[in-house]
Amino acid sequence: MLKWRDRSPQQWQEFVNQEVCVTAHDQQSFEGRVFTVDPVSASVVLVSFPETKRPSVKVILGHAVTDVQILGSGTKESESRMKSLFLPDRTQVLSADELKSRRENLRVWLEKNRVPVTEDGDDLRVASVLTISAPYSTGDCTCANEIILARVQSLVESVPGEQHASLASI
Amino acid sequence: MKTPVSVLRLPRGPDPNSRGFDPNSPRFLALCPTTLSSSSSSGAVDEEEQRLRSDLRERFLRTLLLMTDKQVEFNMHEKVRVRARFGASDIDVLNFQVSGLETPLGVQKEALLRCQDVISCSFEL
Repeated sequence: MLKWRDRSPQQWQEFVNQEVCVTAHDQQSFEGRVFTVDPVSASVVLVSFPETKRPSVKVILGHAVTDVQILGSGTKESESRMKSLFLPDRTQVLSADELKSRRENLRVWLEKNRVPVTEDGDDLRVASVLTISAPYSTGDCTCANEIILARVQSLVESVPGEQHASLASI
Repeated sequence: MKTPVSVLRLPRGPDPNSRGFDPNSPRFLALCPTTLSSSSSSGAVDEEEQRLRSDLRERFLRTLLLMTDKQVEFNMHEKVRVRARFGASDIDVLNFQVSGLETPLGVQKEALLRCQDVISCSFEL
């Protein structure tokens, strides 16, 4: 069996969402469910939900891992439970009208700030390089250029007349 | 919080010649295992493998994001355990920037931990 660090992403992927026991240097061992294995450093991220305490996350650095044993498998439910810890919580579901008004509000605000914006179906396109999709918050901007992204995001954050639910729960 | 001690040792700054994640940079080759070349036997990078890599890496980055500004316990060699507020990691996961590092010598206001020295880190949500 190859060293942990030398295995392929496919092999690492097989451990995701499984209950494992990771053995590290100094004969230490860590138990938990694998959230991910970093392809750059081969570090293992384990999540555990103890009964009485708050959920805890452990990151075991790739260079220290000597062995990983699967103790049990995971289910779709355990996967989504883990994911909910890490991914931003999109609990706010807006109606079509609200989305439309948000989009219009944002478009007007961007134009006021002399940002070239056009409507592209349900999305807003800024200078044909950045796309803002529903529900038109800071986290919904996609762009290949970091500088433009940062500028537009700060504008989106400061749009007046909106009650911003804090989507950045991380 | 305890009064921080004065800085004992300044860390080396980043290499001014390389930017970003360059697998041919001397820093990466010297310090990181060659994860990119290990599995591509045919020479061409498999699309499926690349997709898996991005997926795994995105999850890891979200873990780091979640860890930011939290009190983290670092488990290091020789059973040394230190607590600190996690700041950031570099792109190759070689160094962790932390603040308020509690050490037997006192509280270091800002510090850089070498990932080679860290075995694991844990935090609660």
